[in-house]
Amino acid sequence: MFVIKERKQTWFLVALMSLMLLLVACSNDEESNSGTEGNGNTEQSTTPSDNTTTENTGDGLSGTLEIQYFVGGYGDGWWKQVIGDFQKQHPDLKIVEHAGPNINTEMNTRWISETPPDVVYIDGAGASETQMIAEGQLMDISEFAKGIKLENGTALLDSFISPAEEVDGGKIYSLPLVFDTWGTWFDAKWFEENGWEVPTDFDSWISSMEKIKADTKIAPFVTTGQHTQYFHRGVLNPAFAAAGGEELLNDLNNGVVEAWKKPETLEVLKKVEKIAKAGVIDSGFAAYNHTQSQMNFLMHKNAYIPVGFWLPNEMKNDTPDSFEFGFTPTPMNDPGKPLALVPDIRTIAIAEKSQNPEAAKAFLEFIFTEEYAQAFAESTGAIMNMKDIDLSSNTNVQDFLKNINEMINNPGAVHTYKRYTPDAELQKIAVEITNEIKLLIIDILLGDITAEEFVDKMVKKAEELRK
Amino acid sequence: MTFSSKSKYLFLAFCLLPTFLLFIIFTVYPMLGGLYYSFFDWSGTSANKTFIGLDNYIRLWNDSIIKKAIINDFFFVFVKVIGIMTLALFFAVALTQLKIKEAPFYRIVFFFPNIMSVVVIGILWQFIYDPNMGIVNSLLNQVGLTEWARPWLGDKTWVLPSIAIPAIWAGIGLFMLLIMGGISNVPKSLYEAADIDGASEWQQFWHITVPLVWPQIKTSILYIIITSLNGSFVLVQVMTGGGPGSASEVMGSYLYQRAFEDFQFGYGAAIGVLILVVSLITVLVSQFILKKEKVEY
Repeated sequence: MFVIKERKQTWFLVALMSLMLLLVACSNDEESNSGTEGNGNTEQSTTPSDNTTTENTGDGLSGTLEIQYFVGGYGDGWWKQVIGDFQKQHPDLKIVEHAGPNINTEMNTRWISETPPDVVYIDGAGASETQMIAEGQLMDISEFAKGIKLENGTALLDSFISPAEEVDGGKIYSLPLVFDTWGTWFDAKWFEENGWEVPTDFDSWISSMEKIKADTKIAPFVTTGQHTQYFHRGVLNPAFAAAGGEELLNDLNNGVVEAWKKPETLEVLKKVEKIAKAGVIDSGFAAYNHTQSQMNFLMHKNAYIPVGFWLPNEMKNDTPDSFEFGFTPTPMNDPGKPLALVPDIRTIAIAEKSQNPEAAKAFLEFIFTEEYAQAFAESTGAIMNMKDIDLSSNTNVQDFLKNINEMINNPGAVHTYKRYTPDAELQKIAVEITNEIKLLIIDILLGDITAEEFVDKMVKKAEELRK
Repeated sequence: MTFSSKSKYLFLAFCLLPTFLLFIIFTVYPMLGGLYYSFFDWSGTSANKTFIGLDNYIRLWNDSIIKKAIINDFFFVFVKVIGIMTLALFFAVALTQLKIKEAPFYRIVFFFPNIMSVVVIGILWQFIYDPNMGIVNSLLNQVGLTEWARPWLGDKTWVLPSIAIPAIWAGIGLFMLLIMGGISNVPKSLYEAADIDGASEWQQFWHITVPLVWPQIKTSILYIIITSLNGSFVLVQVMTGGGPGSASEVMGSYLYQRAFEDFQFGYGAAIGVLILVVSLITVLVSQFILKKEKVEY
């Protein structure tokens, strides 16, 4: 009897422990959707005034609206503001925010299990719009987008600086929210004090770097060698666009063999080789991650750095008081030709499997206003992708941003080129091309290979991929 | 109170089952999952997967970066085994045999890196190697060896040795303690007899200490091999991201890039399987090489 009783107890204990293990391992996070996690990611929910209802009450929306947004250099202040305002307008809606620097990875299982959030802001590591479109994860919002009108009656699709992208024969899967772009930064105040001219083309850039080197004994140019996409997108892409327009820019990145054989391509790489040979690159660049290179730039160890729009916001805690951010589209253009800008637009979309598409659409419609465009510039130090937003009278917006905004809305001196989203098959080639460029950027900047060798290797790679 | 054989087995099951369940959930299941996904073209971000058979493995075979990553991995294995074992053995002997008064202090100092996060170690050494304000270049400049100063982590030739040094530094403590445990079990009478026979300290080291702590040395070497092949990528990822170019790429960092940056999870899983196979073969070969009869005096 004792043995039997003991056996029962033992089995009960084993079963209990196994059950607890399974519960711990398999529990989802839906129950704990508030507070800040250890890794800085947040999952917060705003409870509606009456959380028992799931039906529409009057004109307001109800149910749950889940929003996924990446928090990087731009912070989350703007998101908190717009989501808060949207909540006020729809008190019966329960809004759940999934946000943080690693949110794309953390939400991955939701996308894999086809229970995604309703709205997704596509930005940061682990998020790719191309991939999401190819996988059928985003909703076709073409008709909805065409119907959105701004307060002044203008169609939203006509109000973007960089237009909404049409893929698969005219389908719109996302709205371009943030006008992100790469370019070259400098300390405007330091330049003014030393009488250094801001370059407008490649020749004046090289002369400027040589002068700065002679005046200060520093290596004027720095970039991060650990993340070579900064040089790729900040220097090479504008250079390709300036040399051969959108066609060359897209063909090269998509591994079109003929494009890599073009003389314009070699000319661009010759310019890069010239920068390397001029001895104006920080000798330690290959070791730096992006933060180290940016810190060196802020400490005047260097004078030029190619980074995206987020730089001032990302480094605001480390920026000396005397530092005044200046931005120019990277001057890889020939004299007399316009500076080239290749925007890296960050988009917002609705999941194909959204459980509350009406609320998701209402949210997308809600955020594209002049008021929020002004607020975006104030809180992020960057530009929302809307034309004719007058930032000049907004005292909360930094000067460099006003200048950039003016530059973008005045297409004379600066030409904007678009890097189109490749389709799924092309994307596979584009990834390999990017990886190869990543390796060769280091080689050419270290002076280990010539422009011709760079081109030869790329032609070989493109041929191999296009076989 | 009588214990039948059944109750004994039940007790054993009670002790083993939770661990076995954990092992199944967190080791066997992911391992089989990795093997399964390696046969698919899968981005790792959606439910869509296409079965492609051995295509990922064929691609692996033709990938030049993989070959480089394997060589780099074995560079770390080789350098870490030699570096850690030599230093750990000598420190262990010094702290147990030489009757140093401050031995407990040194034991703590040498073990200290083991309780630090590898990520912290990587960042710390990144500062040490910083081309502008790093202590290494500053010292070289101060002693007049300016031409030796270089961007250590940005130099294709020096990047691997530069990562290996913190890897060795961080590894010594644990194995030193393991060997010290072994040495403390060696009967003192053996050393006394050797002294009477006129054996030098070197001879005692080679003929008494090393053979008698061989099981600990062997375990340490195997452990270093396994952790190096599986874990080198943490330091690489933090310190260089596999760069400059692909100069410090190891299999783990390449897996991370492919699976999580290039959205090629299936290919990443195939690299994971390769790491498993390479680790197994290396451990089996090492066990064969290190096979030695247990010595007892």
